[in-house]
Amino acid sequence: MQREEKQLEATLHAILNRVNDLKAAIQALITKLENEYETINWPTFLDNYAILSGHLTGLSKILQSEVAPSLRSVVVLPLQLGCERDEALARLTEGRVPACTHDLVPDLLRTKPEPQAEQRLQQFNHKASTLSHDTAQKQVAQFTKVISHVWEIISKGREDWEGESMRSAGMQPTHSIADTHALVTAVGTGKGLRPGMPSIVPPGVGAPGMGPSRGPAPQLGPSAPTMPKAPSAIKTNIKAANQIHPYQR
Amino acid sequence: MSAANVAPITATDSLSQALKANIIPNQEYLLQGSVLDSAVEVLLHRLRGLCDNVDAGTETFDDQEVCFSLRDPNQQAAPLMLRLRKALDARDMPYQLRYIGQPDLGDKSRPTVVRSSLDIACSGMLIEFLNELGCRIEFEYSVKGYMFRKGRMKITVSKVFKISQSSMSPEPISQSYLVELSVLAPQGQDAIGEDMRAFADQLRPLVQLDKIDYKRLGHMSVT
Repeated sequence: MQREEKQLEATLHAILNRVNDLKAAIQALITKLENEYETINWPTFLDNYAILSGHLTGLSKILQSEVAPSLRSVVVLPLQLGCERDEALARLTEGRVPACTHDLVPDLLRTKPEPQAEQRLQQFNHKASTLSHDTAQKQVAQFTKVISHVWEIISKGREDWEGESMRSAGMQPTHSIADTHALVTAVGTGKGLRPGMPSIVPPGVGAPGMGPSRGPAPQLGPSAPTMPKAPSAIKTNIKAANQIHPYQR
Repeated sequence: MSAANVAPITATDSLSQALKANIIPNQEYLLQGSVLDSAVEVLLHRLRGLCDNVDAGTETFDDQEVCFSLRDPNQQAAPLMLRLRKALDARDMPYQLRYIGQPDLGDKSRPTVVRSSLDIACSGMLIEFLNELGCRIEFEYSVKGYMFRKGRMKITVSKVFKISQSSMSPEPISQSYLVELSVLAPQGQDAIGEDMRAFADQLRPLVQLDKIDYKRLGHMSVT
């Protein structure tokens, strides 16, 4: 008995905490809407709703936990209704409920949904029960089709957005390693600059390769640095010719 | 009191003093890269933002470089290479004769290529002089581009042209601009390499400035 009482107390305490959090979150949302309605944007609004739903989930978790004693068996009854202002009650409820009057109590201690909500729920239930199985299936299929169509449109849009900005920055190389090598060797060792040597054609550049020994213009990377044998033969010929001149004039 | 009887300082004395004090900038720290023609404007904008000497517009240069080699007739050692550079856009400037040594490649931890570099200004008689010495022309090319400076660092963005004897206009040897970042400093100032590396990182990913061993690349293709 005592254990149950203690459990009840603990559960009530937990529920109270959660409800307070929920209340604070709703308060924050309302103030946000009232003060920042010009600058608020949809994602921020959705974030606030997410907070609310988080609190509600927490609350429902507590209610569903097995530790909580069956609250169905516990009943809250108003023992006394009065019209006068009750200070203790006002303090407890932070000034919101000054008196335990006749019109407040049915709303505050309600267990069934509101009359309006209940009526609508009844209507829907009636409509659903009159639907045949086939029509229900068809409607569900249509619904899924519409949802997937909307999903495709959104995901395509997102891909275009992100893909464009990310891909265009990466796909255009601003320097070519082959060109770097070609330039550095040309400046350093004169490769491709000696008279009679065919000019170095870095791959992917598309400049026409000159010289008879070039053959088909090499389009692949590895073939440009490894030139065919014939040009080196030409080079050594020129060298031999030049060797005659120094010191023998 | 007066210093009238002090002997005048000779050139050899001042030179040896300078050598001892290690103030002669005879080392070149170098990083090289290239940028495609389509992207060179962006690179120039970036350099204009980063560098110092752009108040009066970017500095351009148009040079012709001729590389001479002096071979030992007995062919014992590698030939001595000397480079002569003349300015095509400023005809009355002296020619620059430059010796570039072998790069110090053993140390992989160095961020830049370090090679000895000695240069001197000469008159136009230099070509005849070199010919009389026995040097012959190995190759020549012309470079035309932009020069930027940041502190001690010199950055050049230039297009290399092959000089063709037959037709009048030189043709570029590639569809890219050569980008070089270099500093001339006395020996032992390796901290400048770190500064150069930091500056090179600011130009990424437009240009990848690295130390490139052109001798190895040259040998790879000639065989």
